[in-house]
Amino acid sequence: MARKKLRTKDQHIIRLASMVDGLGSILYEKADLLSYDCDGFTIHTALPKAVVFPENTEEVANIVKYCHEQGLPFLARGAGTGLSGGAIPLNQEVIISMVKMKKLLSVDLENRRAVVEPGFVNLKLTNSISDKGYYYAPDPSSQYCCTIGGNVAENAGGAHCLKYGVTTNHILGLEVVLPNGEIVEIGSNGVPDEPGYDLLGLLTGSEGTLGIVTKITVRILKNPEDKQTVLAYFDKIEDGSQAVSDIVSAGIVPAALEMMDKTAIEGVEAAAFPVGHPKDIEALLLIEVDGIAAGIGEQIEQILDVCRSRNVREVRAAKDEQERAAWWANRKTGFGAMGAISPDYLVQDGVIPRSKLPEVLQKIKKISDDSGLRIANIFHAGDGNLHPLVLFDARIPGETDKAMEAGSACLKVCADVGGTITGEHGVGIEKREEMRFVFKDEEIMAQTDIREVFNPDNLLNAGKLFPTPGRCAEVKKEMKEAAIS
Amino acid sequence: MSKPEQELKQSPPCTNSLSNYLWNDPPDENKWADCVHCGMCLESCPTYEQTGQEQHSPRGRVYLIKSVAEGKLSVNEQFMDPVFACLDCRACTTACPADVDVGGLIEEARGQVRQAMPLTGWQGAVSKLFLRGIFPHDSRLNSLGGLLKFYQKSGMQTLVRRTKLIQVMPKHLVEMEAIMPEVKKPIKKKYKSENVIKAKGETKREVAMLTGCVMDVMFSDINESTINVLTKNGSAVVIPKNQTCCGALHVHAGDREMGRKLAKQNIEAFEDSEKIIVNAAGCGCMMKEYEELFREEPEWKERAEKFSEKVEDISKFLHDTGYEKPKAEINKRITYHDACHLAHGQGVRQEPRDILLDIPGVEMVHMPNADRCCGSAGIYNITNPEMAGAVLESKMENVPADVEMISMGNPGCMLQMAIGVEKYGRNQQIVHTVQLLDWAYQKEESAKEGQ
Repeated sequence: MARKKLRTKDQHIIRLASMVDGLGSILYEKADLLSYDCDGFTIHTALPKAVVFPENTEEVANIVKYCHEQGLPFLARGAGTGLSGGAIPLNQEVIISMVKMKKLLSVDLENRRAVVEPGFVNLKLTNSISDKGYYYAPDPSSQYCCTIGGNVAENAGGAHCLKYGVTTNHILGLEVVLPNGEIVEIGSNGVPDEPGYDLLGLLTGSEGTLGIVTKITVRILKNPEDKQTVLAYFDKIEDGSQAVSDIVSAGIVPAALEMMDKTAIEGVEAAAFPVGHPKDIEALLLIEVDGIAAGIGEQIEQILDVCRSRNVREVRAAKDEQERAAWWANRKTGFGAMGAISPDYLVQDGVIPRSKLPEVLQKIKKISDDSGLRIANIFHAGDGNLHPLVLFDARIPGETDKAMEAGSACLKVCADVGGTITGEHGVGIEKREEMRFVFKDEEIMAQTDIREVFNPDNLLNAGKLFPTPGRCAEVKKEMKEAAIS
Repeated sequence: MSKPEQELKQSPPCTNSLSNYLWNDPPDENKWADCVHCGMCLESCPTYEQTGQEQHSPRGRVYLIKSVAEGKLSVNEQFMDPVFACLDCRACTTACPADVDVGGLIEEARGQVRQAMPLTGWQGAVSKLFLRGIFPHDSRLNSLGGLLKFYQKSGMQTLVRRTKLIQVMPKHLVEMEAIMPEVKKPIKKKYKSENVIKAKGETKREVAMLTGCVMDVMFSDINESTINVLTKNGSAVVIPKNQTCCGALHVHAGDREMGRKLAKQNIEAFEDSEKIIVNAAGCGCMMKEYEELFREEPEWKERAEKFSEKVEDISKFLHDTGYEKPKAEINKRITYHDACHLAHGQGVRQEPRDILLDIPGVEMVHMPNADRCCGSAGIYNITNPEMAGAVLESKMENVPADVEMISMGNPGCMLQMAIGVEKYGRNQQIVHTVQLLDWAYQKEESAKEGQ
């Protein structure tokens, strides 16, 4: 598979190849690059210049230094499961794939922390420490294959983030290669809350625009003593949404509180992990509580009561671990399952105040009716993080644009009710323009100013996170600069 | 392979489509339409695990196959590489939330590659010799078996090994030679004159049996065990004369034309059978998918569908129809390896384990990642030795240290795992699940006779 010699005269490729381990660690021919022209966001595609696979921090630093000196755009990529296009090479970037840096470097149970390389797969961390009674809390649905480095870039969330917080709440330290190739350590020794600015917070969720993470110290947690999961079917979506609000108002903090609507249920039931949900309900809730064993039973009773008071059709707790696992597999593979009922989908990621759920779902339904595209809803209802999945067929001319418009309209609705445009998937390419729904030009500019401190030449992952240049913010900035000079 | 592509294309029909698939039976658009590129398949894929490269991942391969149809890529060497590096282990199909038939797409794509770029040189000759020249022909298979037997019994094997003559062979073939099972008399020959092998005791039903090509030459004792176990549990066994190789190796290699020919012969040979029992996971999976070969021949497609419904793996058949629990003990620590085409291909996971657990004295030891490919993958370990070796290494790391036997349901895996045991200095015995059951029955019989 690895070719015997380079089949190119491109000097950059030749130099880059010398910085990594052999010809099996660089890709530069079109057929090989094609699989890297998008990530989990497939609407926008662009070919990279090359893909390199470094195996340690020094190799990453060398590659970055070279790109920096030569003015070559570059970006980092993990498993490529991102849903907003953060790893798509818009400017013919050299992709630095982190997947060969996939070691679990150390586990320190006493201080409840672990150090991983960025290419280490999320779920593998939990699998490696579960026999000792520990786990890693952030659990994006793609945790079977997404990398922790990618999770840091996107500040990934997951079903259980309602109680435990998103990635940023679990990062204790980072080793980062800055866009000029310099290696820095932030939060060394994994001591939380170091004095000075919260750089960990700034870097986590910076979508690969400030630096490339090469080592991550994460917090690990003790397994909860007990957990219990409830499944509830509702005939009316309003009742389901109201039950969500009631559960939280009742003072219960579930570990997870998930909702799926009718179209979403149709998808998961047609796919590989069906549970046998009825097809004629409008909504289902999947509710999990965990903690010390003593209080669990009581909380479950309370949840069952709330659901019953909201006209639930059927509600029950999982009878055993097997059933619980089946319910979760069905939920966690929900996005991919849409493939079973639609050739393409676009997933949105709005956040709203919980109390606005019924209103927002109504409006999303209207967007669906107006556009003629089906929209499925799978979401973390507990923290108001919606995932409208716009179903479309890219083979039909114009339908992709229509889907993007519908997706954008969903985000507008979220922003208008006092929410925001992304909860956990990041802005990437997809929601650049929608940043204007929540930020004024000056606010966007303040953020690009921060980027410039780290990434002054904007060679690292350019064109992501903020609206495309040339619009008002940049124009104003140029005017300002002209005025100063 | 090195010939320019243009030279090799045999004037395909003209079309107006963008697609660069120029021959009949192209990859099926509906299969990739299910893929939304979510990436849930990545970690299930042994070749992605080894390379970390997405063109060697399921979603990457599906993307490339789709790209050829969209005219973004042509059927050339760079396309061939990822398509042929796939083990066809189907682990991605299990992992996929949308049930994308990656295996089916790969096989269809290979069909196109082989027509665009027929194998030439040494590889072409070997592949043609085995796939077209030997496997489909009983008599030649038997002669090959005879030759191997001669090699083993005449002292030549010892001579070759001692004189280091063996060192002229590529390393992976040496490893294979080292574990070659002792060749015995093929079942098809042994029961040549019997139309029906009678059930022991009351006859509850009659079943037909696929003897297989490699199976009957290399592992005729497993076929014998299969017959014993079937007849012991009330099934009379028929071995249809006209049956042939199932064609899996051909279809995996992209020779779909030969695959169809063999499929048709088998469909005819088993026309009168109600149940077709298979003891090789790869064959069973192929035979359950015959209809995929006849997308352009509706009449045969229908016959293939009927045929496929009758195909059943021996462990599933025993589980469903019931079997006598053996009374004699086999005191062994055993671990079970899921053959890909049994677990991922046919969804048979628990049935063989239950059989093992029903044998008194057997202590089952869990193997982590038991359904991970061993790297055998048909003839993959011959064509892609480097990758197969890496996959085997990670498989062997998962075999518990203190077990005495590794049980499984596929001859290809058995050979590959035997290489693993030999290569990594382990000492496990490799057995077919049905053999263990048979041995337990036999032990019980001889105990009775002893009394």
